[in-house]
Amino acid sequence: MSAITLGRGEGHLLAQVVRAFSANATSWIGLALFLAIVALALLAPVISPYDPLDQDVLTRLAPPSADHWLGTDSYGRDILSRLLWGARLSLVISTVSILAAMLIGGVIGIVSGYVGGRFDLVVMQAMDVLLSFPSLIMGLMVVAMLGASMVNLMIAIALTAIAPFARIARAPTIVVKERDYIEACRALGFSDLRIMAVHILPNIIAEIIVMGSLWLATAIRIEASLSFIGLGVRPPTATWGGMIREGFENILDSAWLSVFPSLAILLVVFSLNMIGDGLRDAIDPKLRSGE
Amino acid sequence: MASGAAPILAVENLVTAFRSGGGEHAAVRDVSFTVQRNETVAIVGESGCGKSVTALSIMGLVPAANGRIVAGHIRFAGRDLVGLGEDEMRKIRGDRISMIFQEPMTSLNPVLTVGFQIAETLRYHRGMDRAAAGRAALDLLEQVKIPAARQRFGDYPHQFSGGMRQRVMIAIALACRPELLLADEPTTALDVTIQAQVLSLLAELKSAYGMAMIFITHNLGVVASIADRVAVMYAGEIVEVAPLDTLFAHPTHPYTELLLRSIPRVDQDARHLSTIPGQVPSISAMPRGCRFAPRCPLRVAICAERDPLLAPVAGSPAHQARCWVRAPQAELAHA
Amino acid sequence: MLGYVVKRLLLAVPTLFAVLTIVFVLARVLPGDPAQTILGDQATQEALENMRHRLGVDKPIAAQYAEFLVDAVRGKWGTSLVTGKPVVDEVRNVLPYTIELTVTAIIVGALIGVPLGTWSAIYRNRWIDYLARMGSLLGLSFPAFVSAILLLLAFAIELRWFPVISAGGLDDPVERLRNLALPAINLGIIMAAYVTRVTRSSMLEVLGEDYIRTARAKGVPRRAIVWRHALRNALIPVVTVVGLYLGILIGNSVLTEIVFNRPGLGKLMVSALNQRDYTVLQGMMVVYAFVIVIVNLLTDLTYGFIDPRVKRQ
Repeated sequence: MSAITLGRGEGHLLAQVVRAFSANATSWIGLALFLAIVALALLAPVISPYDPLDQDVLTRLAPPSADHWLGTDSYGRDILSRLLWGARLSLVISTVSILAAMLIGGVIGIVSGYVGGRFDLVVMQAMDVLLSFPSLIMGLMVVAMLGASMVNLMIAIALTAIAPFARIARAPTIVVKERDYIEACRALGFSDLRIMAVHILPNIIAEIIVMGSLWLATAIRIEASLSFIGLGVRPPTATWGGMIREGFENILDSAWLSVFPSLAILLVVFSLNMIGDGLRDAIDPKLRSGE
Repeated sequence: MASGAAPILAVENLVTAFRSGGGEHAAVRDVSFTVQRNETVAIVGESGCGKSVTALSIMGLVPAANGRIVAGHIRFAGRDLVGLGEDEMRKIRGDRISMIFQEPMTSLNPVLTVGFQIAETLRYHRGMDRAAAGRAALDLLEQVKIPAARQRFGDYPHQFSGGMRQRVMIAIALACRPELLLADEPTTALDVTIQAQVLSLLAELKSAYGMAMIFITHNLGVVASIADRVAVMYAGEIVEVAPLDTLFAHPTHPYTELLLRSIPRVDQDARHLSTIPGQVPSISAMPRGCRFAPRCPLRVAICAERDPLLAPVAGSPAHQARCWVRAPQAELAHA
Repeated sequence: MLGYVVKRLLLAVPTLFAVLTIVFVLARVLPGDPAQTILGDQATQEALENMRHRLGVDKPIAAQYAEFLVDAVRGKWGTSLVTGKPVVDEVRNVLPYTIELTVTAIIVGALIGVPLGTWSAIYRNRWIDYLARMGSLLGLSFPAFVSAILLLLAFAIELRWFPVISAGGLDDPVERLRNLALPAINLGIIMAAYVTRVTRSSMLEVLGEDYIRTARAKGVPRRAIVWRHALRNALIPVVTVVGLYLGILIGNSVLTEIVFNRPGLGKLMVSALNQRDYTVLQGMMVVYAFVIVIVNLLTDLTYGFIDPRVKRQ
């Protein structure tokens, strides 16, 4: 289904990605938005007006004001500061888990395709079954069983994203492995690992970037959802999902508690989707999938 | 061929162009020809010579995304189809002018039964109800000789072979008894034995219905068996028009001549089969002057300078060619 | 068609075992000692032994696996540690609400997504197309609980058109619809975002097919070409995406049920989670395994319904 251009150098493909970027306004806007959010998250210790954990009983549930731009929560903590610190956590968890999924999925896909035969068949069947689990349900099950912690959250999210990356990595592996020059490489005594790294990676880099940004968006959604259910990083640490969970208890009189973190999540996910979607259109108009 | 009577179709100076890579390039350039009632005109040429675009122009089906008719007239039964609104054109398509396409495998809708696809034409153009259109469609399936037509009426296209699908296409095209049928390489995708069957079916139905037909092909053997007159196209232009026998006996344009020489014949040694050197120029890089000049063995100085016009050969208006050497352009003065 | 259905049903069996195996690994192998998890660090050795025996985790792992599979298939999904009621009964009580919600959501999603995607394709690169594309990209950026909260705030709390708590089990059909509306719209618009995108790209591809040219050559009006000739072909890939989306829908329904406080499978699972009701949790994982397999099966069967080429293979 995916059109993968084989046999091109890495520079060429990266150039393709850069060109795709410059041709597509949507990805530019998405990238600008996302980088702005990343910058704010990085600068959180410097720019947040308050300590995100500082409670102040006197200013409980204060609506947005000059002192607290986005108001305070039921413990009197500053919402803006918690949002900025929450962004760090959200980005770290999702980035680490997607990078892990990329690595593990990539290795599974390449090895499976390279070895081939019955091994490949069994591995890919297993990936299919894994893929049939909705990511949120899978995440919910894993965290529910392992217990809520930052590491378990990452394991849960990574687990849901392994299968798609394994699929992307496997397709070109099978094609490349049949090429004459791979035989030549073997004859020259290159190790299998080196062959795979040098000849297969460049072929899937563009697709991995697209998939990576779309799955990063999904990871942020899952992290927020699990935190909202109560399976996220434990309070009082600020997480967006957790803030909405706490705000939801006061939704009738203090709607801003849940509205601001909601908009923050929406903005990040939307910006990542814009990047991935624009790139996907530009790199290959035929490449599309549900998620 | 009743010469003198008004032709059913007269294409005059047709230019159809496509946008690509920033420019607009003519795929069909200054094409003129006529088709009489009951006549079969074959348009012959290599792929990309503009023969299909000519047919699509007549149908008003030039892809609007990047193509358009730039100039010229297409007079059908005296009425100019160029500039006609989509709604007017729709009433003519499938009713008075029909078309059969090259690919029977992809030209039928995979999710609708063949019976429905035939009956549909009648329902739109004749206002028949479902039952009446169904009966007429079944009758058509029998006319195009689909075995066990009644049982196959409710089948889907993927259950038919290529030849059978092309018969279904013919049934669709003939449903409203059109005055003009455009057949665009209708047998190219079929096996040789099936080709002959479909050709004889077309010829038979054409005379039974009294239609005029434009038969587009790259196969001169097929032309010989079906056409009354032949127009040879090269690089978007008609380079020669002649009655069938004249063309085969006295091919005048060097391209026609080379084309005829490249047909394999049973009574000749295949080693003498000739090919035409060079390649068809691309639509965006047409040579100056005569478009065939770069490949032409008879090329003289003027060929690369100015494009010749279609001129009568040996004073016969029925036989015309576009060549500085073979069809002297002086004749134009009194053409 | 019957042969196709039977074949699909048979193919679902190995999938079910694979999915159940993953659940078994998650529920029994990964967490270490579930007895410890349930009883906490302070539990005596004796209490732990008892709990292990009660849960059946004191047997060898192979025996546990076999027992787990047999119980799962026989509907013996355990008994709640909190209420003492069998999980299968609890599931039976709330299942109709979840089915009602998801089916309505699919209908809402298709009713919005299919026409929007089709128009977007017909008016390609016009303002309606840009609007539909941006709108659907935004729609699929919503975590379901975020959109649910915003809907709740706007239409239940501010405008008061709908109840804040979507109680189920109402006999009055109008009240029932009012309770169903917001949760179903919430799931429906997210689904519509997916459907719009796929319908658009699939429609664009179909409109370039040879048989569409044939239909035009027959003089079929534009409207009939789009809605009769093109749409059914374009819907074939849409079914795949709806099938994929059903997985997301199952996850999103959990979040939606929490926000709207509506009874259902998701609510059952989350309350088991909050009460640390280990057996219900494990039972719910088995239930979701069945749901996943059934959803995949339904997607396959829908193909046969839409595409005449499938069912005769």
